[in-house]
Amino acid sequence: MVLPLVLSLLALVALAAPMLDRFLGRAAGWPLAVVFLLLGAIIAVDAPRIVTHGEDIEFSAPWMPTFDVSFNLLLDGTGLLFVVLVLGVGALIMGYSAQYFSRGKHADYYFLMSLFAAAMFGLVIADDVVLLFVFWELTTICSFFLIGRTGLTANKPAVRTLLLTAAGGLALLAAVIVMIVHIGTAQLSVILADPAWQEDPAFATTVGVLIIIAAFTKSAQFPFHYWLPDAMAASTPVSAYLHAAAMVKAGIYLLMRFSPALADNVTWNVALIGFGLLTAIIGALFALQRHDLKELLAYSTVSQLGFLVAVIGIGTPAALAAAGVHTLAHALFKATLFMLVGVIDREVGSRDIRRLTGLRRVMPITAALAALSALSMAGVPPLLGFISKEKLFAGFLEAPGPEFAGPLVGAVAVVGAVLTFAYSFRIVYGAFGGPTTQTKLREPSLVLLLPAAVSSIAGLVLGFYAGWLDLLIDRIVLDTRGIPGEVHLSLWHGLAPEVYMSAITIAVGVVLFVKREAIDRLLDRPLFPVTGVGVFERCFDGTIALGARVGDLTRTNAPTRHLALPVALIAVLTGAVLVGGIGVPPFPEPVTEPVDWLLIGLLVVGIVGMVIAKSRLAALALLGVVGFVVALFFFLLGAPDVGLTQLLVEVLTVVVAVLILRRLPTLFHPTSRARKGFAAVVALIAGSAAALGTYALTGRREISPAGEYFLREAEEDTGGTNVVNTILVDYRALDTLGELTVLGIAGLIIIAVLDSSGLLPGDRGSRVATFSGTAIGSATGNTVLARTVGRWLAPLLILLSLYLLLRGHDEPGGGFISALVGGAGFALAYLSAPSAAAAPIRWPYVGLIASGIGLATLTGVLGFADGSFLRPLHADVPLFGDVTYHFTTALVFDVGVYLAVIGVIIAALNRLGIEEYEVTDRGSMDNRQPVPPDGQAESPGGQDTADPAETTSVAGGEQR
Amino acid sequence: MTLALFIGVLVAGGVYLVLQRGMVRITFGFVLLSHGANLMLISAGVAARRDEPLVHLSDLADAADALPQAFALTAIVIAFSITIYMLALAGAGKGDDDTEDRT
Amino acid sequence: MNSALLAVLVIVPLLAAALLVVMREPVALRRVILLGTNAFALAFAVWLVVETWGGQVLGHNIALWPDGIAIPFVADMFSALMVVVTALLSLVCSAFGVASGDDDRHYFAPLVLTLSAGVYGALLTADLFNLFVFIEVMLLPSYGLIAMLGGMSRLSAGRLYVTMNLLTSTILLAGVALVYGAAGTVNIAELAGLGKESPVVGAAMGAVLIALSIKAAVVPVHGWLARTYPYTSPAVTALFSGLHTKVAIYAIYRLYAVIFDGDSRYLWIGVLVMSATMLIGVLGAVGEETTRSILAFHMVSQIGYILLGVALFGPIGLMAGIFYLLHHMIVKASLFLSTGAVEVAYGTNELGRISGIARTEPVVAAAFLGAAFSLAGLPPFSGFVAKLTLVTAAISEEQIYAAVIAIIVSLLTLMSMLKIWKGVFWGRAHEDEVHAVSARKPGALLTHISPSLALPGLVLAAVTLSLGVGGQLLLALSEQAALGLLDPSAYIEAVIG
Repeated sequence: MVLPLVLSLLALVALAAPMLDRFLGRAAGWPLAVVFLLLGAIIAVDAPRIVTHGEDIEFSAPWMPTFDVSFNLLLDGTGLLFVVLVLGVGALIMGYSAQYFSRGKHADYYFLMSLFAAAMFGLVIADDVVLLFVFWELTTICSFFLIGRTGLTANKPAVRTLLLTAAGGLALLAAVIVMIVHIGTAQLSVILADPAWQEDPAFATTVGVLIIIAAFTKSAQFPFHYWLPDAMAASTPVSAYLHAAAMVKAGIYLLMRFSPALADNVTWNVALIGFGLLTAIIGALFALQRHDLKELLAYSTVSQLGFLVAVIGIGTPAALAAAGVHTLAHALFKATLFMLVGVIDREVGSRDIRRLTGLRRVMPITAALAALSALSMAGVPPLLGFISKEKLFAGFLEAPGPEFAGPLVGAVAVVGAVLTFAYSFRIVYGAFGGPTTQTKLREPSLVLLLPAAVSSIAGLVLGFYAGWLDLLIDRIVLDTRGIPGEVHLSLWHGLAPEVYMSAITIAVGVVLFVKREAIDRLLDRPLFPVTGVGVFERCFDGTIALGARVGDLTRTNAPTRHLALPVALIAVLTGAVLVGGIGVPPFPEPVTEPVDWLLIGLLVVGIVGMVIAKSRLAALALLGVVGFVVALFFFLLGAPDVGLTQLLVEVLTVVVAVLILRRLPTLFHPTSRARKGFAAVVALIAGSAAALGTYALTGRREISPAGEYFLREAEEDTGGTNVVNTILVDYRALDTLGELTVLGIAGLIIIAVLDSSGLLPGDRGSRVATFSGTAIGSATGNTVLARTVGRWLAPLLILLSLYLLLRGHDEPGGGFISALVGGAGFALAYLSAPSAAAAPIRWPYVGLIASGIGLATLTGVLGFADGSFLRPLHADVPLFGDVTYHFTTALVFDVGVYLAVIGVIIAALNRLGIEEYEVTDRGSMDNRQPVPPDGQAESPGGQDTADPAETTSVAGGEQR
Repeated sequence: MTLALFIGVLVAGGVYLVLQRGMVRITFGFVLLSHGANLMLISAGVAARRDEPLVHLSDLADAADALPQAFALTAIVIAFSITIYMLALAGAGKGDDDTEDRT
Repeated sequence: MNSALLAVLVIVPLLAAALLVVMREPVALRRVILLGTNAFALAFAVWLVVETWGGQVLGHNIALWPDGIAIPFVADMFSALMVVVTALLSLVCSAFGVASGDDDRHYFAPLVLTLSAGVYGALLTADLFNLFVFIEVMLLPSYGLIAMLGGMSRLSAGRLYVTMNLLTSTILLAGVALVYGAAGTVNIAELAGLGKESPVVGAAMGAVLIALSIKAAVVPVHGWLARTYPYTSPAVTALFSGLHTKVAIYAIYRLYAVIFDGDSRYLWIGVLVMSATMLIGVLGAVGEETTRSILAFHMVSQIGYILLGVALFGPIGLMAGIFYLLHHMIVKASLFLSTGAVEVAYGTNELGRISGIARTEPVVAAAFLGAAFSLAGLPPFSGFVAKLTLVTAAISEEQIYAAVIAIIVSLLTLMSMLKIWKGVFWGRAHEDEVHAVSARKPGALLTHISPSLALPGLVLAAVTLSLGVGGQLLLALSEQAALGLLDPSAYIEAVIG
């Protein structure tokens, strides 16, 4: 229970941090430090059970049982070590922050730092791989914000760091999933105990490599080492906590955690030892190059982490013991050094050792503490760093593999240690040695130095009383190697090889320090042709460029380039079917009749005409012809309703089209030969695909059961004898409702779009007039015929439409057909009007549309009375005598259809027919009137438009 | 067979126009395409049965399948709706109905 | 519940739309009707989920005609979940539309309501032709919305949008016709398994699936989406992103599960195409320079993830896919709304034209970042659970390459999200921007984004967070939905039982 308690308390602290900050300002660090210590104390209560009795503290709760992911927590020795770092160092840094920052608000800082502590704590106690990953990513995210919050200059480094560590995180995710799939559980302890690691090397190596990538990115190992110095853009406390003591240790933790499973895997050993030592050397060299103390420390961290990685790679109990001790030692001396560098930076205003000198006289305590930690880092007795360094040496000598492996690795390690010694002294001497120039500087407040003092003195004390750590380290060995260790930490334990190695290290180190000018000259040049950051930026920009190119593939609004693709897909499908072959059944009866060929002939003429037509009106005329041919075919195929509808729709389409064409140039835009050719090819492919599909898939069976049912039962079910109409208004009224909604909406969006974008000026009337001789030409003279006919015909058509509406249920007709006839009537009335200005039928067409949709829907709702939506109700209405009229709500439904259709047609005629159009964006139908006065409209040839300047419409975009 | 051919011609013509420049031609192309689709629906009934599906008026043994006819009716009206909207788009805004990118 | 009530989801929005067409005043009441209708749908949808809990399937023959004759409405867990998210999104987006001023256009509200009615119908119907009709009911309002709102290029975008969708609808219609020609029915339940057994029906259904894939903007037919979505108003973009492509995806899941019975012969095509979609989409996103075009390309990429679920046809794959689908609808809408809020308030969505507003707009910044991390699959957001389950499915189906691509793509996703974050929320604040806006809104010197504008995105971001931390709930629901697809017998039973 203690684990979730502490974890949730840490989370609460994070949430409370902004509150504290509001009242205390920067001083909020103190209470936070205290809380960290208290939480540490809570853990400490259970610590003995862990280290002495080898028990684990566990907690388990379900999280995502469906996916077998649980909230499993487990604290063992290894976890305990890192908990000490998280809470211990955390407390120190919080206390440090309380003094370090300028007075004022740092709410986000304290929030993120506490949140990070919670995440890091969760990471080291997670006993579920998914949970582990979650906390892993959380630490990454916290790091991102803590770096980024520093300011503009920190933005890029923050992003770089996040992307790199996130990439590592994804490797970890992959490892997690592979383990879950392969082993079948997400519980870490169970996974680690699984025999698969030994039995299935392929699996072990795969996971091992992924884990290594994750750890290397997090712990800044070559070739990912560069992010750590990059991250120094963050404020010093952040660097000290995340990028020295805690977060960068997450990788180390991961490697130690998986040692039991992978320590015997050769890839694992080679990769860790090789890259670890390489990083140790490179990092140390870089450290010797740098003059900025913080950057120098960053590289030293890289180097030290390299040692840790390498020694974990050795995999022997002694090696892992060394890893444990050095992790602690490093956290202590590195945190101290960062804090002190921060102090110097704050007091002196510089971190450059070329400008700092002789500070030992003005700030002796700072100097002493720094020296203490630096010596520990250099591995000088009697400090903890000395002991851990010797343990490292001992570990390296046990390197697996051939005889010479141990000595070789040991030798390289000594080189690394020597360099470490050198840069440690470089730090101390660079800052505190030499003549004192800035004499007026003074020691900072002891409160500010206190946290640093604690950690550096701890390094000294633990040097003398290293034995205190034995039990913990033994437990860590047990966790990481499965066998209890017999570690005895002490400053002196006989003339073991590592003693000589230390002696060499110190001796050569001193030499290097003495010869430091020579060394500086020697190293004062780039060690690599490229910098990590440079490579990253190049990849980053490269990806963006590539992305832009990918976007270019479709970067056009010209429909052609988009519309050809679907056709291509259909072609592929057709091809696949042709190749694969689908045994199509034979036609039960012949589906062809001679007359069909005649229609095909007509069609081809029409289509070819449309294809070659250059004039819009010619194409439109031919479109009409084709429409009529198609309608004719419908009649021949025994579909009178469809044929009728087709005819009427064709008429209205042509009318509407004419209204638009008069606003457009006479001729189509010219198109290149190449384009014509391309279009022709695609067209032929599409045509053949359609023909093949129809030929192969239709007409090869008897009438469908449903079709059979309708013919048989329609009258019985619905009282209607026009089967098609009964389907429309009774059986599948839902389709019809949708269809009339579509039509109604079409009317509305025409209005809406014209309201926001306006309409082209209608100044091409004369040319149209020659074609149609109607109000569109708008000359009184040439519409006499049309008007005389129209005046009689229009009302007749409207009457006829009502008749068709009533009889529709039984014979061809019904809502749509009748409405379309009526619409044709209105169209005629419109076209035959003496002037376009007089033409528009002033009916509330929007209202018609809405009421149509509303009426049809409500009629459907009535159906609920009989148990379902759109269920038609029937009643026999006595008219006179015994004559009754069979009434069905289906008729009312049809009336709804009628209203909507009429509304849309009038809307289209009115909105597209009027001459001028100014944009209002307030789509109301009443405030819209044709602009030109009637007198003008009477003018022959109908040049009745104002100057185009007035008529150009305002695009909504400009109004925004 | 003939029906398939008829549809093939319609679709070919439609696609050709759809791939041309200018909203009007594209719209016309779609009108042809919808003709093709509607005929496909009718053809999905059985083209061998060509009597009108009107009870009492025709012999139901040869009456055409009414269901695809209803489908076609619905499809025609939907196509009509979109057609007039596309025509409106062709006439809306500035310039003309050109569909090429303005550079 | 009486399954006859399923139709209510279509009826109520339609009636509300009809009313709002004629009713101009009072504006307040109009808004109440708009939001109220959506809220009602949401409540109804939640009820549906409760009713379909544990594999229940509600089926109803509209107008009570016999099986195979009537148009059936069906709701199982999958459709119910889709309806819930649809209702949630249209509610939130409508609210945003009210806040952003889109709602001042008289036809905005009716069109949005009709759109949602179309979506509900498409999600509930078990009849291919009726599916086509409802997809049109959904599309027509969209044609209007995309062309009546937004910037200068909205007309050409509108033209492209209409032509592309119309071509696709025509293909869909032709496909349905051929299905009827081959099988003599368009009833999804009656067609069950035929796609697998009869090659003829399989071929016809192939056309249908292609049409749906185009509507879902799968590579290589993704360009139209990236070219149209960014050019209307943010509210509309968010609404489209949440609903349109998702209806097509839903249909693909349903049809492949029922009619093809999860036929394993074609799955490799899916894996191939979807991997390409993930990759091409995210690369396109990385290359863009405005918030909405980046996000639009991401939709493509994410659609690849979602449909990978059906391509990995199996219990985990389908569960993961459905979870991803629902998560994505919410997150993507949230992102469009957060960036849209910035766009509405600052008048641009170009990276760099505005920057450094994280401090002045903390709420929007938080909402955006939460959703962005979720999109990239970072914990503790729902995107993490989605990615985890999907990649697990891929690896357990031994589709290693797909898994690797999915993982790499998520990194690129993060990269492009950081591009927006760095370009808009971090960096130096442009003084001129501040002045320009504070002039427009006197006294508003710090925050330019009104709470009502920021809230919608924030709400959805909160949802994705809770679906991540409390992922179990949605996982369990998705699992039920997946089982309903794996064994569609209950669904078929409900339609023609």
